[in-house]
Amino acid sequence: MNPILRMDGVSVTYRGSVRPRQAVIDANLTLEPGATLGLAGESGCGKTSLALAVLRLLPRSADVDGTILLDGQDIERLTWGGLRAARWASASVVFQGAMHALNPVRTIADQIAEPIRLHSSERLSAAVSRARVVELLERVEIPARRRDAYPHELSGGQRQRVMIAMALACEPRLIIADEPTTALDVVVQSQVLSLLRRLVAERGIALLMISHDLSVLAASCRRLAVMYRGRLVEEGPAHRLASAPEHEHTGELAAAFPTIGDTASRYQGAGEPVGAAGSTRRPLLSAEGVSVEFTDRHRNRVPAVREVDLDVTGDEILALVGQSGSGKTTLARTLLGLRRPDTGVVHYDGRPIPTSGRRLRDFRGNVQLVLQDPTGALNPRHTVYEAVAEGLRVHGGAADEAARVHEALEAAELRPAEEFAGRFPHELSGGQRQRVVIAGALVLCPRVLVADEPVASLDATVRGEILALLLRLRRERGVSSLVITHDLGLAWNIADRVAVMRAGAIVETGPVERVLIDPEHEYTTELLAAVPSFERSVS
Amino acid sequence: MTDTRDELETRGPASGPPPLLRFVAAKVGGGVVSLFLVAVLGFFLFRVLPGDPARTMTRSTPVSAEQLAALRHRFGLDQPLYLQFRDFLLNLLHGDLGTSYIYNRPVAELIVERIGPTVLLVGTATVLAVLVGLWMGTRAAWRQGGAVDRWFTSVGLTLWSVPTFWLGLLLLMAFGVGVGPLPGLFPVAGMSSPDVPPGVVARVLDVAHHLVLPCLTLVAVIYAQFMMVMRTSLLEEMGAEYLTTARAKGLREDLVRRRHAVPNALLPTVTLIFLHLGLVVAGAITVETVFSWPGLGLLTYEALRVPDLPLLQGTFIVLAGSVIVMNVLAELIYRLLDPRVRDS
Repeated sequence: MNPILRMDGVSVTYRGSVRPRQAVIDANLTLEPGATLGLAGESGCGKTSLALAVLRLLPRSADVDGTILLDGQDIERLTWGGLRAARWASASVVFQGAMHALNPVRTIADQIAEPIRLHSSERLSAAVSRARVVELLERVEIPARRRDAYPHELSGGQRQRVMIAMALACEPRLIIADEPTTALDVVVQSQVLSLLRRLVAERGIALLMISHDLSVLAASCRRLAVMYRGRLVEEGPAHRLASAPEHEHTGELAAAFPTIGDTASRYQGAGEPVGAAGSTRRPLLSAEGVSVEFTDRHRNRVPAVREVDLDVTGDEILALVGQSGSGKTTLARTLLGLRRPDTGVVHYDGRPIPTSGRRLRDFRGNVQLVLQDPTGALNPRHTVYEAVAEGLRVHGGAADEAARVHEALEAAELRPAEEFAGRFPHELSGGQRQRVVIAGALVLCPRVLVADEPVASLDATVRGEILALLLRLRRERGVSSLVITHDLGLAWNIADRVAVMRAGAIVETGPVERVLIDPEHEYTTELLAAVPSFERSVS
Repeated sequence: MTDTRDELETRGPASGPPPLLRFVAAKVGGGVVSLFLVAVLGFFLFRVLPGDPARTMTRSTPVSAEQLAALRHRFGLDQPLYLQFRDFLLNLLHGDLGTSYIYNRPVAELIVERIGPTVLLVGTATVLAVLVGLWMGTRAAWRQGGAVDRWFTSVGLTLWSVPTFWLGLLLLMAFGVGVGPLPGLFPVAGMSSPDVPPGVVARVLDVAHHLVLPCLTLVAVIYAQFMMVMRTSLLEEMGAEYLTTARAKGLREDLVRRRHAVPNALLPTVTLIFLHLGLVVAGAITVETVFSWPGLGLLTYEALRVPDLPLLQGTFIVLAGSVIVMNVLAELIYRLLDPRVRDS
């Protein structure tokens, strides 16, 4: 049987204004019909370039060398007409973050029907193409009545399902899925993955799936390939890569997605608060019976947080886990005093948090926020020094500003501090930017850090460093952290205690070792079951 | 940040039809309030101007104090300000904008008479400029940095920065009067010739003939705005991922552009276009003056020279009103074009 996709010595080079940049170097891949291959790698390793080269979708500034045979046809030799005919009919793509990959001003039915009409040999009547769209939507478990919805009216998971329906529209022999579940939370991710897995298996469609998350790939693909700095460094059956990775980068990628319950992926010092056992572990920041409601556009009251009791004690790392929309960010905002609870009260250090004046400012200095996306959190026109010093200035300034900024940068492991102080955010890597954000919080010597998905936008290797930093801050400076995340693996990595949130309420709280290994609440079990892992990889 | 919409997969369909009626009512209501404020502003703005209107009216002829008093009484200028204001509002409700000093005719009548030519000239020019601008903007953005882009952008910016009266005079000399061997191809002033043969077709052609030069001047000066906004807005969409999706589907480039990129890029231009349509009524004072086009712009110019307060006040209110009406329309149309606005 001829392979559906064959790449021989493929290189992709971007002609830059300064010098050319090689995104892919000499890649060789073969995909048999119906086979599934996972392509793993960090951002910028060239995996998306490689995938887009299959349909010649790279920007004009990219040069592709080598041969790519799609279904036996040499892609580079096709005429434009031949290429357009091959696109979507031979191979279709499920893009990352379907919000942007779908046209916001056209209905989903319209967008699904477009390739059907385009690639059909005869003119299709409206009724025929509508019936086909409904059939496709039903296959991805979206009710037919939603066909006239616009992308923004759907949830993230639904949008990804629409993308999958669209990819199936012309019955292609290959589907390329580029980070199909990256923006989704664990439960939705596992639903989308199993749907995709089932559909390609039923139809014998070959799947090339790209992700930075090795465990997601292992859950869906029989073979895995690892890309590192433009090169394919390792390829093999998923279970072999999981159990015995040969290249060290494979090991690094695997380590970033810990196996819950495996003590080896618990970081040094996690679960061991420094305070002597039995000493006064009184709550530092606590919510008592906190409820928050929102008003939607129909003026209905929608509860976002319901009757939550939660304590963050001195020097502990508490992970607040839950799906998107479970209310964890709202709860965090309430704990930070950014939003007043509708009922209940938030205490800091034994007193209700102040609502105005100097005492509120003192409180804000003690409880600092670290946001998910450091690129958005930093002003691109401020140097690192200014970004870090800003907090001090807001809090009335300090005579020893330079010294304190220096110390905060050192504490966030931006060493040597002098070298970083004058740089701008765009000159830093993602991990360094997140360190700057953390330094900006540390400069005020806070006692609690509230970190909202602190590593969600970071690469696997950097992720570990930032998590280790949070642990070290706790050990060396006694800074507590409340880490908000949908990533149970992160909780297992560093947290002492974990609180599980669902639909606005905390369903379970307890030490990490107990809650994640022997959960009491069925929802926690459900969440844990949805986490993809190497152990459960398809064999 | 968590997105509440991503919540549970079971988010139901939007319940019921969107409250369109409430939206329309709110926008129209807002427009009415703005119109009222404009009327108030119009009244007081022209009352605080220095100078005695009665003296202005009689500048050329010597008049006695009694005659001045009679004149003041006739125009209601001897009443206290609040009574004048009350009468002004009541009259406004009846469509009465007062009486012009210089023409000695109702302002409303004058405006109605002049609004036709203005809408014809500026309306035609705006529509042409929008079409030309959007088309050129799309072309320029699609091949950013290419020869077409460079030419379109530089020519457009040059014309945009040229003073209107200068360009008007230049065209007038070149094509109206005629330069060297070139005969005058188009009439130099007014909207119609006195010696038109009878018949509707002949009259329409005559007006169209008169329209060419002033219209050309206006289009040349304003189309670049639409072009630049369209260009920028399309450039922003060019990197959008849904265009990669469209290409991956196998669509031809022109379909990618027409079906996917342009509908999204058009959104920001809608506001600009309607703002301009609102200003259509204001006429183009310079162009109408240069070409003696009998429109509102020329009327405003004449009123300003005197100054003829009721006439200025009237044109002010009509102009502001049309801007407000067009803005309300823009918001309603934007809502039709962008489904995301519909739900917010």
